[in-house]
Order: sequence, then structure tokens, then C-alpha cells
Amino acid sequence: MGHKLLVLLLTVAALLSGCAHQYQWTSSHYAYKAAPRDEIAVAGVDKAFVLIRSAWFAKKLGISPDSIQTKVTAECSRLLNEELKKRYPRLKSIPSEDMDKLPEESLKLDQRIFIKGKFPEQGVAMKDSSGNVPKYILIVHEVLLGTDLSRENYFDYALIHNESSEIKTHKNLTAIVSYTLWDNEKQRSLFSAVDQVEKPIVKVSMGDVQELVSQIATQIQRDLDEGVVP
Amino acid sequence: MRKLLAILFFFVGLSCAGDVFFDSRYTLWKDGDILIWNVDKSITVDPKEFCLSLKRFNGGIGEPKCRILGEWERDSVSVHYANWLSYNMDPQSKPEYLKARHPAMVAKLQALEDKIVMFVSRSEGNVKVALFDETESKPKIAGVVQDNADQIALYDDLASTFFDKPTKRRLSKAERAKLASEPDEYYQEVPDFNGWIGVGLGYAQAKIPLTPDNWYRSHIDSKVRRYRITKDSTSLWNFIDDSEPFLSFYAGGTWYGFIGAELIYRVAKHNVKTDGKDTSYEELDHWDFYQHEIGLSIHLSKTFPIKSWLDISPYIFLGFQYSFFVEDIDVKDEVEKPSQAYEKRVEFEEVYKGALVGIGSQFVFAKHYGVNVKAGISSRGRDIYSDPSPDAAAEPTTIGGSTIDCFVSLGLEYHWVL
Repeated sequence: MGHKLLVLLLTVAALLSGCAHQYQWTSSHYAYKAAPRDEIAVAGVDKAFVLIRSAWFAKKLGISPDSIQTKVTAECSRLLNEELKKRYPRLKSIPSEDMDKLPEESLKLDQRIFIKGKFPEQGVAMKDSSGNVPKYILIVHEVLLGTDLSRENYFDYALIHNESSEIKTHKNLTAIVSYTLWDNEKQRSLFSAVDQVEKPIVKVSMGDVQELVSQIATQIQRDLDEGVVP
Repeated sequence: MRKLLAILFFFVGLSCAGDVFFDSRYTLWKDGDILIWNVDKSITVDPKEFCLSLKRFNGGIGEPKCRILGEWERDSVSVHYANWLSYNMDPQSKPEYLKARHPAMVAKLQALEDKIVMFVSRSEGNVKVALFDETESKPKIAGVVQDNADQIALYDDLASTFFDKPTKRRLSKAERAKLASEPDEYYQEVPDFNGWIGVGLGYAQAKIPLTPDNWYRSHIDSKVRRYRITKDSTSLWNFIDDSEPFLSFYAGGTWYGFIGAELIYRVAKHNVKTDGKDTSYEELDHWDFYQHEIGLSIHLSKTFPIKSWLDISPYIFLGFQYSFFVEDIDVKDEVEKPSQAYEKRVEFEEVYKGALVGIGSQFVFAKHYGVNVKAGISSRGRDIYSDPSPDAAAEPTTIGGSTIDCFVSLGLEYHWVL
């Protein structure tokens, strides 16, 4: 009886997984042949972070609800810059005013997954803060910080307008990051992805947030390496 | 050997002439405007000579007008895109990778209005080419041709690689406005009633194609002896010839292009299969039966407007019919008194009832003149509505109680709509 039930469950699981939409969360350009090591600059980090459930964070971190959004996002931006610098020691940065003036566009990863972001103009190379032209630019479009988020709900256009009530849980800290590796020489996107990283919640402190940001940087680097087209 | 080399060089020459990266279909207009967009000043394209090359390689292109797209060559947005395009075009490019993103550039492309923009740029011994029209913000076709110091040869290569396709005439503004206001014929309303009358010629036989011969053999091979004796009498085909042509007259109509009815009259002549060896027929001059049938069928159809002058309506029909067999018999003039057997010859029922079922299709030309092809199966049996009598078993079998044939017919019709 026991193993019959197991077989039935497995069959149902197989059927369900067969029917569900298989998301493709990354997209590589055919010209993405090698992951960047140097000559890379980062853009958009200072405006990318968004805190979801800020009241909960305010309570847990002991910060006033009025200033939680600005304080935490500013801190996270600084941390992400630092973490990326650990992984790409010669990382430069693109001045945020150069990115701000660009229009927001959408980029398709999958039939249902579209990321929104700002992309440099075609035919115009971006300069970093010291006036040099970096070969690659890592454009961080958006980082959502929250608890128990799932990226489908934010990036699948068929689901983003869902207004069904969901039970707010807090088992994990979640960060969803969307970013693009930009070829600054030929002004094209080489690699784009939406990543989701999680960290179990024990007792939330700024240290946990810092670890989560570190995980984001690790995940970005891992995906950039894996996204190379053979 | 020399010939082989010549052929080889010919193919090498062909493959060098041009390499197309991708080709999404675009409309090449007759007498069209070709705008040459060239931001790379190391290459010059002479519009007049290029136009002559186009005419040489495409007879249907009419009188194209070529000119340099100066306004784009001076605009910074389009210059940026042109530069970007020239170093992003490669054999692996797909149109979506080469899409213009700047809103001002997209607007420029959308404002082209039937003009074709030919982007050219020189790179590493090749000339990169991309064609744009107003329908999309990405190139319709892109590729390279080999650079050539001989300008005319280069224009010929460009013309043969990118402009060698059928052309269409551009509509005038007034024609366009009229076309835009015309209702789409595929969305036209189905008339409430479509009626027709027609006359048809057909052919019927007992054997239904793709069925075994032995189902029919005993009926078809049977002969009539002494005016009434056959092996079996359940089918009329034991007495009379089954395979005969027929003539039909019919009228019908469909409501809302879907359901309808048809009334049909059909007439055929069948000879009685008298046995030649039987001496009792020596007195006989002729013996035939005229088959008259009146039927009514339900007609289910769907109309497909294939062209403005042709509608095709396949249909199925299902109905019932009454069959009357009228005897035409006479003895020879010299016979004064027919034999006893003649007097007691077989008699058919006054009327047979049956069903008919089949498929067909109407081809209506110019909304009025139709050709109708149909095929089906019809049956004739005894009147099943009569009450069975208590001594039914003792009654003699009805002659032709189960007479089935299949038919095909071709009709000419006149149609009208209400």
C-alpha cells in the first residue's frame, strides 16, 4: 500500500512539473564568449535596492519606519559595491547621473519573463567616473529585499498583476536581483538574469542583510561565469 | 578540365557575390524610392548608377528613384545607430539583435512610408548592407557583398543580392484610402438565405466502391426467367440493370450559410435483365422500367470565400425519397395474344420509400453560377410504416424490399441570395 501511494504521488508530481511553465531566468547573447575579469564597471547599484515589508524590517532592525527604506537601501548599495569589488578587484563605477537620463526599457528573457531597466544608447560608449571607457558594464537594474519572495510574482507578466491575498511568512530573507552584463564596446547586452537568493531567518540583524548581499554578489559572479556561450 | 575549372570559378564567383545573414520578407515596390544611408564616407554610392544596376537586375522594378539619405547622415541619433549597426552586424545576427532602440530612431523608421532605406558600410574588404522599411524597427534583410573597386560591379552585386525579388505596385493615396474603408471580405456578413436551382447528370450503380464484390454478385448477375422467376427478389437489381446514368432537377437553399434543404427529382431508365436463352421472350419487343424519384434532404454546409469571385461550400446531406418504377413493355407487332407468362409477369410495388445520404461541394462563381459535385448512397425499401399483419410470415416477400445504390453527379446551378 505504501509504495503504491508513493508511485501515485510521484506520477502526480511528474505530471504537475510537466505542465508547469519552465522559466528561463537567464539569457546570453551569442557573442558572450568569455566572462569578464577586469575592465568591468558597475552601474545602477545606488538606485537598485527596494525594501519590501519595510515595517517588519524596521521592527526587527530597530530602525524608525520613516527612515528604514533610505537607510537600509543606502547601506545595501554600499555593501554590494564592496562585495563586487572583492570579486572584481579593478571594478570601476559608472556615475549614476549618466544612467538616470536613459529611458527605461524592457528586455525579454523568456516568453513570460521581462526585466525592466535602463540600457545605454546604441552607438555611444559609457565612461566610468574617472573618464575611461570600460569594456564591460554590470548594470544592476533592481534588487528586491524581503521575506519569502518568489521571483515569478515579480517578473512573470502573467502573474505580476495578481491581487490574491497571500499569507506573509518570514522563514527566509529573500533577495531578487535583475542585472545585465553590457558590452560597452559594441553596446549590446551580453548576459541578463534574474536571480533569487535566500537566507534562513534566525534573528534578523544588519549582519544577516550583509550576508545576503554577499550571497547576491557571489550568485552574480557564478551566473556570469556559467552564462558564457560555448 | 578547363570546363570544370570554369564551372568551379562560376560557383566561387556566385558565393563571393553576396552573403545574406537573414532575410525576413519585405515588399519591394515597383517604381519605389530607395534611400541610400551611408555614414561611412570611405564608400560612395552613386544613386544614378545604382538605380541603373537595379533596373538591370530586376526587370519588374520599373523606374526606381534613388537618392542619398542626407537628413539621416547628419542626424546624431541615426549616426549613432548607424555606427552601432556597422559593428554589430555579423553572420550570426538575427533581426532582433539589430533592433533600433532609441525612440527617435524608431520614429524615423516608422515615418518611412513605403520607402526602402539601404544602409551601407564598408568593413574588412566587404560592404555591409541592411534594408529597412517602415514596418519594423529592425532590418528586413542584412548581409555583405564583397567590396569592389569597380563601382558598377559593386552596385550590380548589391542589386542582385538584395533587390532580386518580385515587386508590387504602390497604391496611390486615394487607392489606399478606398482600400482602408472597404470591408474585409473575410468578415462579410453571411446572407440570410442562399437559394439555387440546378440540373444534374449522374451515374448510379449497385456496387459501392471499396466493398467486396460478393455482396452484390448474386443480385447483379441474376437474370429474369419466364417474366418473373429470379433466385432472389429482395433487391430490384435482380430484375433490372443497376448501373445507369440519370438526370436530375433540383432546387434548394441554405439559411445563414449553414443549414438548408433541397428538393430533388431524379429520373433514369433501367432495362429488365431478361434471360436471352429463355424462349418465352421471343414475343417481347422491349421491357424497361423508368425510375422516378422525389426526395427531400437536409443540407448542412459551410461556405469558404476563397476569392472574391469564388465561394466553395462543402456540404453533407441526409434525406428521404419516394421511388416510382413505371413499366414500359410491349410485345412485337406480329404477336396477337401475349403468352400466359407475360400476363402474369412480375409487378413492382407502387412506391418504395428510402433514405439518401452523402457529401458534396458547391463551387459558386461570381456569386451566381454554380457547379455542384456530389456523391452518395440511396436506398429503396418497402413502406415500413404499414402495420405488421398477424400473419406476416405467411405473406409473400415484397419485391425489391432492400434496393441500394450509390451515385455521383455533376450539376450546373444558378444561385441567388436574399
